[in-house]
Amino acid sequence: MRYLRRKVLLFLVTLWAALTLNFALPRLMPGSPVDAALAKIASTGVPVTNAERAAIEIQLGAPHGSVISQYWDYLTNLLHLNFGTSFSFPTETVAQTIGKALPWTLVLVGTTTIFAFIIGTLLGVYAGWRRGKTADSTITVGATFLAAFPPFWLGLLAIYWLSYTLGWFPLKGGYSAGLTPNLSPSFLADAFNHSVLPALTLAITTLSGWVFGMRNNMINTLGEDYVTFAEANGLRPRTVALLYAARNALLPNVTAFGLSLGAIVGGSVLVEGVFSYPGLGNLLYIAVSNHDFPLMQALFLVITMSMLLAIFVVDLLYVRLDPRVRQQ
Amino acid sequence: MFTRYASSRVATAGAVAAAAMICLAGCSSGSNNNNVSATGGTLTIQGDSGNPALVEDFNPFHAPTELHGTFLIYEPLEIPSPVNGSYTPYLATGYTFSGPTSLVYTIRQGVKWSDGQAFTPADVVFTFNLLKKYPALDGNSVWGVISDVSASGNNVTMTLKSPDVPFADTIAQTPIVPEHVWSSVADPTKSANTTPVGTGPFTLDQFAPTQYTLKKNPSYWQAANIAPSEVVFPAQATSQSTNQLDVTSGQFDWAYNFLPNVQQTYIARDPAHYQYWFPPGGTITLYLNLTKAPYSDVNFRKGLSLALDRTTIAKKAVNGYMSAASMSGLILPNLKQWLDPSLPNQGSVAHDQSAATTAFAQAGYTSQGGKLVGSDGKQATMTLVMPGSFSDWVAAATEVATELGTVGINVTLDTPQFAQYSSAIQGGTFDAAIGGFGGSGSPYTDFNQALNSSFAAPVHTPTTNNFERFKDSSADQALTTLAAATSDSAKKQATNALEQIMYNQVPVVLMYYGGSWGLFSTKHFTGWPSASNPYTLPTPYNNAILTVVNHIHAA
Amino acid sequence: MTIVTSAPPPQVPGAEAQVPLGPTSDAIPGPLRFVGRALRTLWSNGKARVGLVIIALNILVAVFAPLIARHSPTATDFAPYSSPSATNWFGTTGNGQDVFSQMVYGARISLLVGLGAGALATLVAVAIGLVAGYRPGPIDEVLSFITNLALVIPALPLMIILAAYLQGRSVWTIVLVVAFTSWATGARVIRSQASTLRNRDYVTSAVFSGERLFRIVFREILPNMTSLVAASFFAAATAAIMAEASLEFLGLGNPSTVSWGTILYFAEQQNALLSGQWVLVFAPGLAIALLAVSFTLVNFGVDALSNPRLREK
Repeated sequence: MRYLRRKVLLFLVTLWAALTLNFALPRLMPGSPVDAALAKIASTGVPVTNAERAAIEIQLGAPHGSVISQYWDYLTNLLHLNFGTSFSFPTETVAQTIGKALPWTLVLVGTTTIFAFIIGTLLGVYAGWRRGKTADSTITVGATFLAAFPPFWLGLLAIYWLSYTLGWFPLKGGYSAGLTPNLSPSFLADAFNHSVLPALTLAITTLSGWVFGMRNNMINTLGEDYVTFAEANGLRPRTVALLYAARNALLPNVTAFGLSLGAIVGGSVLVEGVFSYPGLGNLLYIAVSNHDFPLMQALFLVITMSMLLAIFVVDLLYVRLDPRVRQQ
Repeated sequence: MFTRYASSRVATAGAVAAAAMICLAGCSSGSNNNNVSATGGTLTIQGDSGNPALVEDFNPFHAPTELHGTFLIYEPLEIPSPVNGSYTPYLATGYTFSGPTSLVYTIRQGVKWSDGQAFTPADVVFTFNLLKKYPALDGNSVWGVISDVSASGNNVTMTLKSPDVPFADTIAQTPIVPEHVWSSVADPTKSANTTPVGTGPFTLDQFAPTQYTLKKNPSYWQAANIAPSEVVFPAQATSQSTNQLDVTSGQFDWAYNFLPNVQQTYIARDPAHYQYWFPPGGTITLYLNLTKAPYSDVNFRKGLSLALDRTTIAKKAVNGYMSAASMSGLILPNLKQWLDPSLPNQGSVAHDQSAATTAFAQAGYTSQGGKLVGSDGKQATMTLVMPGSFSDWVAAATEVATELGTVGINVTLDTPQFAQYSSAIQGGTFDAAIGGFGGSGSPYTDFNQALNSSFAAPVHTPTTNNFERFKDSSADQALTTLAAATSDSAKKQATNALEQIMYNQVPVVLMYYGGSWGLFSTKHFTGWPSASNPYTLPTPYNNAILTVVNHIHAA
Repeated sequence: MTIVTSAPPPQVPGAEAQVPLGPTSDAIPGPLRFVGRALRTLWSNGKARVGLVIIALNILVAVFAPLIARHSPTATDFAPYSSPSATNWFGTTGNGQDVFSQMVYGARISLLVGLGAGALATLVAVAIGLVAGYRPGPIDEVLSFITNLALVIPALPLMIILAAYLQGRSVWTIVLVVAFTSWATGARVIRSQASTLRNRDYVTSAVFSGERLFRIVFREILPNMTSLVAASFFAAATAAIMAEASLEFLGLGNPSTVSWGTILYFAEQQNALLSGQWVLVFAPGLAIALLAVSFTLVNFGVDALSNPRLREK
């Protein structure tokens, strides 16, 4: 229980620190993000209302007022999910914009990551167990090559060949033009068709991470004496590999899994951008390239929160997986 | 990779989009009544950028987010042409200046709103008063120029604060909205107007997040001219290269996109139907900060201008689609009727190393061991800024750096994000910058934005025009004269004076024309604008779309 | 959960004899000697050998770029969009630059960013991870807190902001930015491994026998994580190469420098695939992939450093 209490406390403190950093970053930026944001709005021909100016100043730093009072306004705004007005999507709130994009990323990248984790870990266990054998070499060399290609590069080629030249997959987007997202089977099938290439690209480039991590851990664990001991005691090698070694070797990989679950959003910027997939990553790219600071800040927060939550959950899981931590 | 669209647009429109809102207003000429088409057929236009989804906003006064289709739903009074300056009448049948400050439009009769109600001069007055009441909607600052609007009979009279004839372009292009609908809108500045009622040839049919469809308005006042039965606008993707692939896959009748090697990548795929037209839509310019030495010295600027090989720069930057710009400040051939015949070689300045050396020498700079050295003994240096994401500008700047390097100037490229670039040029904190110039179709607007000393704010005070901070009383005077000129000869005289200033004082170094990238297919519709029939620019994101839809006929 | 109770020997057999790691109070092997031994061990591994050769070739190309490339990488002297020819082995870009020369000079940037940022990130990761893992209590709390904080800030957007903040926009900016944003993962993994090792009996016995903290951490714990540290380095280096390419590809780097990332950026801008300029897309992509593969191959040899059971027979 002490462990748990400490982790909860840590979670809250980290949350606060992350929020604060989020507050500080735009204020540390060169030039004035507020001026840039206001200039950006003004340059599109729309006069800036005082309310919009105030909202942007709260988020990005006002030229007047103390830092303390700005900070207080910032936290109050966050509490009310008031992220200001995005100038890329001015007719809806930033929360709405993010809300629409979130499910796409969660489903696409979430399932891809879980899938890649399971497959990669299993391959890693097998490769580690059969180390030095043909199976090991095949898996590791194969994974090495897959991991080495920049995801956006693979995506570009996939779009050009599989979508453009061969016409097997759609060129862009999360669903066909003219459709409105719903949960009907035909729409889901259409969305699935659109997600195949981005999912494959993500899976291919992230798979190897799990393979190597797991293989390295397996090798380390298999070098442990209790494994040798178990083998000497006549236990079947497969039992040893799966029951003893793999279970212990899994720990560092679980840590990494938690991190990657949170990082999916930030990490999918390029893949979603290349495939014009309607998720958070794409949105983040749009925000950054438009200098849409309010949207960017809000996306920062969403990504930060998801990472924090993921790490928190992994910390809790860790207790179940490694009793030694619990005994502290 | 994602910014080519923005780049092309800005390249067309001017460095900062403020200019774009006025100057991109597309222009048309010729009559609307020359064809009677068979109805039927879907017109597919590569639409707005909609990533991850289109902003559902048909408010014609929301310039940044309004959808291109809005231009087919609402009509303006008239649409001025960049080619010969003539007006094509829409909701007005004509206009006159009854005095230097009194502009009278004759309003068309027999026009109906798409909900069946009659369109009246009162709607015009209401629209302008709406802009007065909500300055947030008045993006072109109409009420900065006019002081009153009133109707009598079929006439609507605008009273101007001071003589400003060229401003009629802006007034004429203001979209007119129905009083009976908009008078009950609680906050027109926020309204996304998702059930638009207009006088235009099309009405909204369906809206989905990445595509919307307009259907023909059967009660349109010149419905017989309208060939398509519906217009589909599929949204563009985030990835510009994907959009280019999309274009060549042949699903659009009209697309607006830069394509490399357009003959091979586009035309060759269907030579019988595909055609392109890349007319100049603006001028890509080397801006020099006139508040800084040595750029404050006209001889040094002349030296720079002579040291540049504009044709090569254009070739490197935009694949040779565009030609070197005339230093007259006019986009040629679009505006050639305003060209001062006394300018040598149509105002174009050829690469001339020895003349450049002479000019630099007059500015006190001489070549010593391959370096251009000033009287203080130091080499001339230049930091050239442009947004890093505008690859065509970066390519141009790289070539500029190479060419100026051969005359001994040490050029450093600075490629920040757009916002940093924009604050540098607006605040006057730059050395030299690549930017857009002109493209409005109106010589007055182009020259006024570039040369009017009232825009030349002190350094660190942002300005959206005259980034180089040019101040010249004769230029201001010529601008005032041009603003008040109603006769063609008076206009021409004032325009020529401004061209002389551009040519002789080199306030900015004009380099090459920025393109508008029109790609068409004649599979379903013919009569697209082209070099042989340049009735408007191929830009589907402004009033040009209304002009084009009135010109095309079923194939 | 099974915890084996039989007392294990202090180390994995053979590891200590082969690779004495890190400075200890009684025997401080010179860093060069350490690197030399490590390289020898690496060389004995077939996969690692291939990796080392590829890296060495890349370094040679980068160092002797002016001798290898026959044209300036930035000169726009050639006809744009030309196919590979005797003059331009890889063809030319849409701006008329020689692609082969660009590739050769581009190796400099990719290597510099990869090795520089990888080393910097690993240094930070090891220092913070080890100390945090071995010292529970306030020190761990603080360091873990910093690590967590660094982890929760999304790396790519942070890179973008930092790249904007450090006005210079040079290669070093990217090195610093990438290092700054990619140490945390390694630190966290190293910490969790260190905290598991801390409770091992041989460490406990070392503690009871009165060995100093420094010695325990560097002599008893670090050698057991060599593969983790090396993996961190090569992972960070690979990530750095990818990050450089990604930042450049997004147009957020300095497009006036020549790197594999900027070549891809301009290839995308000029839609090289559409105009049939395959080399323009494939050359930089494959070069990046090859360098990343070579780092991973070396990693296989690294495993053998700390785990002799993995050495190839």
